Amino acid sequence: MSAWFVENGMLLGLATLDGVSSAASVFMVAVGLNLVFGVLRVLNVAHGSLYAIGGYAAASTSLFLLARGMPAWAALPLLLVSSAIVGGILGPPIERLLRLMQGQEEVLQLLVTFALFMILEDGQKLVWGVRPVVSDAPVKVLGTIEVPFGSDAIPFTAYQLLVLPGVALLTLAVLAFVLRRTLFGRMIVAVTVDREAARAMGIDAGRVTLLTFSAGAALAALGGALASPTTSLVPGIGASTIVLSFAVVATAGLGQIEGAALSAFMIGLGRSLAVYFAPELEVVVPYLIMVAVLLVRPQGLFGTLEARRI
Amino acid sequence: MTALLSARGLKLAFGGVKAADGIDLDVGAGEFLAIIGPNGAGKTTFINMTTGYLRPQAGAILYDGRPILGLAPRRLVTLGIGRSFQLPQLFGEHSVAENLALAIAAREGFWSPFRPLMRPVWRDEADEVLARFGILDLSETRADALNEGARKLVDIAVAVALRPRLILMDEPTSGVAGADKMAIVETLVRVLRDAGVTAVFVEHDMEVVGRFADRVAVWAQGRIAALGPPDEVLADPAVRRDVIGIDPGEDVHAAA
Repeated sequence: MSAWFVENGMLLGLATLDGVSSAASVFMVAVGLNLVFGVLRVLNVAHGSLYAIGGYAAASTSLFLLARGMPAWAALPLLLVSSAIVGGILGPPIERLLRLMQGQEEVLQLLVTFALFMILEDGQKLVWGVRPVVSDAPVKVLGTIEVPFGSDAIPFTAYQLLVLPGVALLTLAVLAFVLRRTLFGRMIVAVTVDREAARAMGIDAGRVTLLTFSAGAALAALGGALASPTTSLVPGIGASTIVLSFAVVATAGLGQIEGAALSAFMIGLGRSLAVYFAPELEVVVPYLIMVAVLLVRPQGLFGTLEARRI
Repeated sequence: MTALLSARGLKLAFGGVKAADGIDLDVGAGEFLAIIGPNGAGKTTFINMTTGYLRPQAGAILYDGRPILGLAPRRLVTLGIGRSFQLPQLFGEHSVAENLALAIAAREGFWSPFRPLMRPVWRDEADEVLARFGILDLSETRADALNEGARKLVDIAVAVALRPRLILMDEPTSGVAGADKMAIVETLVRVLRDAGVTAVFVEHDMEVVGRFADRVAVWAQGRIAALGPPDEVLADPAVRRDVIGIDPGEDVHAAA
């Protein structure tokens, strides 16, 4: 056993670091999905498209502006700005459409959001084509860090080590604060828990839904934007991300913010360990984790059966 | 007595079930009107239509002389129509005062993402409303730690914090044990009368109806079968047989 660790210790360390950074971007998508489902009660398959479009938008804006003399460091804040714009532009019209689906049969909701996903996926191919788009300025500008590991050190990009998990943790903290300690957050929770009672309280449920949906869309776009410098963007990333974030949400339990962070970490780690040690299992590991959790706790790790709180 | 609320020819059917089959009703300003009738008679449907949750297929509702059909529930709240649900809708993890503050803040209409949950002015107003209900000592209690009777009062206090002129209550005393029930209704009626609020409430307890309602409307299959002062309506043999049950002494709520 110890011989195995000596031999594979470095790989294990690398897999952990990789897992954390990929968990960060999946968390952003999953937590947005969770918020949106809470206020709208529609499972939005097209949420994955917002991830893909967020990634493409960040990468192409960054490439465009860098070619015109933008300093390299500005590529970092650009990730945030472009995601907010994607959320602000695409969020409201999609919310309008999905609101029509409220209270409809779940099969119909699924079909409509899936159709929307296909439309957005094709729209994305029209705009950005099918050739991989690579924009790694945000990674390069921060360089690499030697992570001490026993007597050795693992070189890892500062972007993946600090920026990705940092932004995810910040998002977690801001969301937890807003939802629990601010008036607007309580209104989101009120609409999530009981839309009818919230309206009887005089809460503008439509406006809360619109703003929450747009915020969720921006979070998905930010997930894509944050992941974009570490990967090459190709058609299909939206689909794989949405399925992965469904797994995260189901594992955590609907409505769980901190739970989503933890299960994103578990699933991200599980997947990256598979990448290094059992590559043939990479695709199924997240779902094996999900199935294992759901067999023991059908409501998810942190979900409660009756409460639909955020 | 001028009518604050007037319903004219309300009709609404769910499939073959007629939840409202020509409802005509006037509720005077300051009046306390009780609605009684068997389950499925359309009592809650009437509340839902008046508060904007359901839209009738035909008819009109006038509030203070203006038609209100088609207005959103939130808009009706700002016009002064409040409601409470059969099951109190409170946020369990928050204090009673915070529950009221949410309604008070929503009434103000203006909010930004980072506004704090509680402000001193909201707190003062919440405490003032709670004091009227005589439950100021519950201000800091978490809503999920309240007993059922207190939950009912807090739920109505949330509605009162919205400063309604008309309040519609769906079984304000359901689920409260006998001894506490009268005390709760007395508090409730005193606060609403002091504030000059007009009240329409669904009630299964005939003792409550007899003591506190100015008039009683008997619902049956989407129609108003009888309407008048409690002593007349509750003495009507047909009402006694069909609504109250054969034995007037039995617990009508449990039987329903």
